[in-house]
Amino acid sequence: MSKVNKRISLQEAAALIPDGSSLTFSGFTIWRRPMALVYELIRRRARDLHLIEVNGGPQTEFLVGAGCVAIWESCWVGHELYGKYGANVSRRVAAKDIIVEDYSHAEMTFRMAAAAAGMPFAVSQSSLGTDIHNPEYDMLGRAGLRDGGNPRIARHKYQFVEDPFFGGGQYVLSPAPKIDVAVLSVQQVGEEGTVRVQGQHYTDPEVARAASLTIAVAEEVVPEDYLRRNSDANTIASFEVDYIVECPWNAHPTGMFGRYDVDGDFLRDFYQRTRTQEGFDAWAAEWVHGLDHLSYLEKLGWPRTLRLKANTALNYSTSVKRGQ
Amino acid sequence: MSTKNYAAPGDYNLADLLCCAAAREVRDHEVVFAGTGLPMVAIMLAQQTHAPNLKLIFEAGTLDGRPPQLPTSVGDARCEVGASRASGLHDAFSIAQRGYVDLGFLGGAEVDQYGNVNTTAIGDYLSPELRLTGSGGNPDINSFASRTIFIMVHEKRRFTENVSYITSPGWRVKKWPQGDWVHRRQLYGAAYRGGPTAVISTLGVFRFDEETGRIYLDTCHPGTSAAQIKEQCQFDLDVSRVSGETAPPTVEELHLIHDVLDPEQIFIPRVTK
Repeated sequence: MSKVNKRISLQEAAALIPDGSSLTFSGFTIWRRPMALVYELIRRRARDLHLIEVNGGPQTEFLVGAGCVAIWESCWVGHELYGKYGANVSRRVAAKDIIVEDYSHAEMTFRMAAAAAGMPFAVSQSSLGTDIHNPEYDMLGRAGLRDGGNPRIARHKYQFVEDPFFGGGQYVLSPAPKIDVAVLSVQQVGEEGTVRVQGQHYTDPEVARAASLTIAVAEEVVPEDYLRRNSDANTIASFEVDYIVECPWNAHPTGMFGRYDVDGDFLRDFYQRTRTQEGFDAWAAEWVHGLDHLSYLEKLGWPRTLRLKANTALNYSTSVKRGQ
Repeated sequence: MSTKNYAAPGDYNLADLLCCAAAREVRDHEVVFAGTGLPMVAIMLAQQTHAPNLKLIFEAGTLDGRPPQLPTSVGDARCEVGASRASGLHDAFSIAQRGYVDLGFLGGAEVDQYGNVNTTAIGDYLSPELRLTGSGGNPDINSFASRTIFIMVHEKRRFTENVSYITSPGWRVKKWPQGDWVHRRQLYGAAYRGGPTAVISTLGVFRFDEETGRIYLDTCHPGTSAAQIKEQCQFDLDVSRVSGETAPPTVEELHLIHDVLDPEQIFIPRVTK
């Protein structure tokens, strides 16, 4: 047994993310997002968050709609099949309520990997020639935030270099992100913090290591000894995780490989109802405020959760209706 | 070789036609990197027909999967079925940057005559009328695949002289920080492997001249003409190289799309009579 007790509650986890923090998440678009903790952040009316995400999804849309986010640095947001784009991000960008800094998907991935390896920047040739590299569209620079005053914001969005070793052409250097907190949503975590992700690991190993503080919210906490019997199946080492939260169904309405499918009806309803701020506020009053995780699950109800439950051989649900 | 058993005009819809036209761009044994939606159905159709050995990569991290059921996104648990390896984005994008990818299949909201594609924002980027999803892996796949194919809705405002924002690099691109227009070969140097090779729109199939980088019309979908399609482009479309009409789906392809790949009608609706 570990000498340190890493177990905390969802509420304690949310309290580890003060206003103004830079924050990132596990998962991919509508899969394995730490939604239960995102709901907690909205309940406690978090403000001025700087989201640095390899890609966005419902967690971004929920937080941006609730006014928790000042800066969103990423490459994509939407609900896949269940919502064409991120309507809340779109609305708040148009109103200039948030600053959006665009990178490409590979750039965000390589940037996160650079941070995870303790390097100051990533180097890539991805997206050469696009407006992603247009100096006029450096939004944090335009907002006067690249003066070194904020330790989380790099002095440049990019630097261009010619390959100094092999003459291989133009390369782009992009800054490693400074992540205060990474929140993971995973299937299993051991008492000492060892994480076992099943299925694709997306960028979870990179984001866990990139952050100053890493919180793993898991479907179940299992004995460390159990995970250590097959260490080759594990994804993230114990000491990379600072706190653990046990919370079944914590990724709903996003999906979790082997456990439950994406709740497409929920996301479609969210997308359709939250095109306006009034719509978002009404949605949040119904599904977020005044509830906790258990009452949220009660509101969802057994028939719905049973439909979403994954077949344990196939790792996805055979009961959800996915088409229109 | 048997004579193709093409479906009758009333037996298929535009989505079927697009899916089949896209599938025919795939060659057997290729490494293919595909996005969510129609591209996904197209490559799975190719895998079920003429390209059983294609290697399918989804950017969320499944390498060489053989999903029997259509995923609803590239992060879906269904992507993993039969995969050679379940991995993550760092591997998927490293594989692309390393040069393994033969063909990328992508979508877009706007395209210009050099194949530059926008998926980020409509209108002035600094005060956008509409913020779209953003780049996702579109520019990354398009940067490194030997060929990329775009599947797009055809409207005059989408086939534009200048896209609102260049999300994904075409044949003539901007060399930053000055922003001079150059051929992509000049910019990508050792990493140059090719570029956009086709746009399959809801009106026709377009290809690109690799040297001039300009788009031209190759085939018109049944029921349209080159003149009509030219009218639906803001730029001066080259229609001098039209080779004929886009081939319709075969009866076998329709069966595979609707009875095997997408019986739930997730991406492709059935013809209703």
